[in-house]
Amino acid sequence: MSDVPAAEISVEPPFTPAEAKEESFGADTPVTGQTKMQAAWSADSGDTDSSAQVASMNEGQIFEQIYQPWSGTLNPRWMRNWAILRHHVLGIFKKGHRPWNVPTKLFIFFVIIASMTDVAMALLFGMIGDTTLYDIWGVSRDNMYGHVMGFFPRNILYYPIVAALLVGGMISEDRSHGTSAMYFSRPINRFDYAAMKFLSVALILIFIINGTLALYYFVDILVMGKGWAWIIDTFPMFIATFICGILLSVTYTSIGLSLSSVSRGRFFPAIGLIAILMGTRSMAAIIDGLFDKSVLYVISPYDAVAHVCQAMIGTEMTYDHPWVWSLISVVVMNGLALYLLANRVSSLEVTRE
Amino acid sequence: MVRDLIIESTALTKSYGPHVALDSLDIKIFQGATGLLGPNGAGKSTFLKTMLGLIQLTSGEGKVLGFDIRTQGDQIRQRIGYMPEYDALNPGMEAIHQVRYSGELIGMNPNIALQRAHQALEYVGLGEQRYRQVSTFSTGMKQATKLACALIHDPALIIADEPSNGLDALARNFMLNTLETTVKLGNRSVLMASHLMDDVERVCDNIVLLHKGKLAAQGKIEDLKAIDREVEIHVWGAASKMEEALSDGGMNVRREGRIMRIGHTGDETYNQILQTAANVGSQVRRMHDHEASLEDLFLVIMERLGHEVKSSDDLLGGV
Repeated sequence: MSDVPAAEISVEPPFTPAEAKEESFGADTPVTGQTKMQAAWSADSGDTDSSAQVASMNEGQIFEQIYQPWSGTLNPRWMRNWAILRHHVLGIFKKGHRPWNVPTKLFIFFVIIASMTDVAMALLFGMIGDTTLYDIWGVSRDNMYGHVMGFFPRNILYYPIVAALLVGGMISEDRSHGTSAMYFSRPINRFDYAAMKFLSVALILIFIINGTLALYYFVDILVMGKGWAWIIDTFPMFIATFICGILLSVTYTSIGLSLSSVSRGRFFPAIGLIAILMGTRSMAAIIDGLFDKSVLYVISPYDAVAHVCQAMIGTEMTYDHPWVWSLISVVVMNGLALYLLANRVSSLEVTRE
Repeated sequence: MVRDLIIESTALTKSYGPHVALDSLDIKIFQGATGLLGPNGAGKSTFLKTMLGLIQLTSGEGKVLGFDIRTQGDQIRQRIGYMPEYDALNPGMEAIHQVRYSGELIGMNPNIALQRAHQALEYVGLGEQRYRQVSTFSTGMKQATKLACALIHDPALIIADEPSNGLDALARNFMLNTLETTVKLGNRSVLMASHLMDDVERVCDNIVLLHKGKLAAQGKIEDLKAIDREVEIHVWGAASKMEEALSDGGMNVRREGRIMRIGHTGDETYNQILQTAANVGSQVRRMHDHEASLEDLFLVIMERLGHEVKSSDDLLGGV
């Protein structure tokens, strides 16, 4: 038993309860609490004194800065690449990822809807049983080619503009915002960076072009109750068209991204891509009209891909020169664009831009 | 106490054509906080890039956290948190998602990265601001966000390039406190490149000083300060005579009005000063050892290298 009388044992609370009070402070007030610090770092002009709720206790602070260690395991390379891909693609639909601007999102939505006009027409005329109109809109060799490679409106108003909006700031904004440092100071190499950016744009384009193509084809099968014979007959055409969609998406993406990689803003790559696509085609069309020579179409990315696709799908050729020249042109154009892209991405800095 | 070696280089050389950016550097950086100093063009950025394993060396070798900078850049960058000097944030993203994404780029699971992003932003003092867009942040908040990006995966080494760049007094104080806490309580290492000597002196125990790609000095700041030891005296009367007599006596004297600083050459320096004062009839009213600042140390080293630097401000002017 202790000799100390019970009455002499002082019973004190372990701490003095804190009471909130309003406190104002100016620029020279020392930063001792979290809310004060936040007020000090606030984004206002700094002309007004900020105020914050702080504890009345002299001892201790509200904001105790504690370093919290972490000892988890890190995922391998493919997961890091997946993060880049997800960041760009999911940004179209969700917050918290790459912030695409509202006009881009709206235009993509519009193009997806507009690209499905043939789906809607085939569905409509298939369901009401008008065979004449269905023959115009239903799945055929020419219609599938037209879905992907039709010039007006798809390859003048829809796909090139979507591509231009997508590639606009894809790399150039990393250069202007300095976010390239965020990638390259982490275990992301230049190839992975460029490849994931490329895939992000190409996948969105492929989703729009080929996704609606697949919908068009399979809706026709379901609505019209097409049999195996029809499917076996048309499926190679569908696959050829699908590959054409990929070729078109890849070509637009590689040219667009190479322009993005040489720029610091989003306007030049976007307008540059459209200028290249439309300018080369216009020039080739003028030469063709004046001299009846279609060979200059090999410098037009759209026409080169279209010519190759005509050969692949088996539609009527609209160019006089051999399609192999266009194929070579597509390969060279993509090769040059990718070379420029690789070259410029390798020049992105970590320490300063 | 034996401290771990976190960065080690042997004859590290990097040339860009005829220009030698790093010239045979032998550097040892131990656990703790180290300041990386040097005028513009000294090779600091090139040194940081080699430490991140981003550029090929011309010759020599180096290790960071035990990993070879020539072949194990990925492993190094997984264990380092790099805070760039310039803006490296997407202005359209919310801070929480910016920090989370930087964790995912390291290889963290998205959910864990999000959880750590909350902790990291809380740690750098942006707990209540984490759902604000970066574009609405002040410079201090952006710097803090960059630090959170660097800290998200709890790196063994944080490379902070000019962490207090553009900050006002309060934000700068908080930033430096945070780095100090990370080193002292978090037991992490910081390599801090800065032009601001006061900042380096406050956070770091050691410095590495580069000059024209060469190592000018490295070691503990306290040890290095010994090369610039001076005795400061306040004299009354016959100050000019006193200065002349001290100089004639072979002593190194710097004078501003009544205050003189005399190079400390040994214990006999004090007696020599008092004897000279008695000879010229001057009163020494105060005499004490002058505590050199890091800026003084920097100027002395640069002077010895024959470099025309008047103050640390000159460093910013592209000397």
